[in-house]
Amino acid sequence: MAAAPVDTVTGRPAWMPIAARRVHLPRRLTAVALLSPSMLFLAMFFALPALGLISYSFLTQASDGTVGLPLTLEHYRHFFATPLYSRVLRTTIEISLITTALAIVLGYPVALVMVRSPPLIRQTITIIVIAPLVVSVVVRTYGWQLILGNGPTGILNWMLLNTGIIRSPVALLYSETAVVIGSLHVFFPMAVLPLASALGKIDRHLEDAARTLGATAWRTFRRVTLPLSLPGLTVGCTLVFSLTAGSFVTPAILGGTSGQMLGVLVEQQFLIVYNWPFGAACATVLVAVVLAANFLSVRILDRRNRYAQ
Amino acid sequence: MSSRLHGPAAWLLVPITVAVMIFILMPLLVTVATSISNTQYIIFPPHGFTLQWYGNALQNQDFLSAMWFSTALALAATTGALVLGVPAAFALVRCDFPGRGAVSSLLLSPLVFPVLITGVALLQLFSMLGFDKTALNMLIGHVLVTAPYVVRTTTASLLLVDVTLEDAARTLGADSWRVFRRITMAQIAPGLAAGALFAFMVSFDNFPISLWLADAQHNPVPLLIFQMIASVFEPSVAAISTLMIIFAMAVVLILERVGGLRRAMAM
Repeated sequence: MAAAPVDTVTGRPAWMPIAARRVHLPRRLTAVALLSPSMLFLAMFFALPALGLISYSFLTQASDGTVGLPLTLEHYRHFFATPLYSRVLRTTIEISLITTALAIVLGYPVALVMVRSPPLIRQTITIIVIAPLVVSVVVRTYGWQLILGNGPTGILNWMLLNTGIIRSPVALLYSETAVVIGSLHVFFPMAVLPLASALGKIDRHLEDAARTLGATAWRTFRRVTLPLSLPGLTVGCTLVFSLTAGSFVTPAILGGTSGQMLGVLVEQQFLIVYNWPFGAACATVLVAVVLAANFLSVRILDRRNRYAQ
Repeated sequence: MSSRLHGPAAWLLVPITVAVMIFILMPLLVTVATSISNTQYIIFPPHGFTLQWYGNALQNQDFLSAMWFSTALALAATTGALVLGVPAAFALVRCDFPGRGAVSSLLLSPLVFPVLITGVALLQLFSMLGFDKTALNMLIGHVLVTAPYVVRTTTASLLLVDVTLEDAARTLGADSWRVFRRITMAQIAPGLAAGALFAFMVSFDNFPISLWLADAQHNPVPLLIFQMIASVFEPSVAAISTLMIIFAMAVVLILERVGGLRRAMAM
């Protein structure tokens, strides 16, 4: 067997990752100087307003519109006690869960094909998956409005009418289903990319070994490929869930009243009703949902890493 | 060796992938088809062929000023994101200090937090502080959501830098500024360019920050299209949308040429 290739300049084996060595800048002072502008910016325009918004949700709005003490939990009580609002929370979680499940079920095959195809096909799939990310969500949602239109000229209705599958146009737009379809389209890349990157890292010899030892293709997938892709799967799920739960454009255009989500509720409270403390409470509920999902995924990944050691 | 898909698995996976690709492209193609349709109303299938709606769009003052404002805002936001993000990425990769992991997740935290809520929190902050310069407020919001992308791509590029080249240059007598400029920057330049272009698009497409902070004089394109969807029922909305799609596709192709799409997104 030939000797392992060695980088002629450094004498380092060619397989050694280039990032294996780090150059450390001399002083800790340098780190402070490099980091302080961004950290100050974040403190001022991210941490401060986020905390401000949350504390606003515990304040009282007087009848003349001024907001101040006393501290109160009234907005949260109002949110959970009013069926209209608690239904919006349920719809939000429901839509986000269904979208996440669909994104994974459809994204897994795409990621597999993407990773295990010849370069040209891989590149084509990558471009098709990623390109819509650079197209504004508003534009993509507009396309879905054209497709799902409720009249006979809505494209899907037109196709179903012309193929004789339905007799009269069906109502697709302004429903939970429409929001799920739109969200799936918008956030699909967020499921595929982490999956593809996890699948790309799997040592193919493990699968070959399983097959050689007599495992069926399905068993190999279930016992080798799937467990090894779990980190990518977890990241993908969290991203799709969080982004769907926090979305505004898709439910605002496709959702109508039956597909209303928390983001739309927050917008209404702030820009139409002008009840800022209650809007802040709705926003805090949304943040809690998203952070809970992220916390859960960190826990899952941590436990997995502990097992791995 | 089973390095390629084959057998029954391929028969299952390939059709699903093809169907998903059609699903992804469908709304874009439909929008393009509608934009060249020769009817006053949006109907399907499109009738005839006309470029009239593009003429309308390009004469639409609201669209032109939105286009101008969005471009200026995205350029300024990208600059701001580079100024804040690149030094931070250097500190993360090249400096050793306690709590580096925490700092790194803090810098990326605007990506985890719902952007819609970041926007409304900023609205509240600005109104409390009496900040009433709309353009500046929007710039701050856009820098906030684009900077994490710059941090991510710059960090990824810096990790790929071959530091032995820096050692070599130093040994050969180059001073540190020269090493930085000629060796380090030269190596991360493609990643940096891809990151900047991606940040530009993130700002150009941003809706959930602009929603809260924009006003009639400062109306970016995504907001304008959103307003038009609710009020204009002729294909000029589709024409404007198609222009946005073409613009985005050009950016995608450049990104792919410059440094690879997936690297630009650091995914």
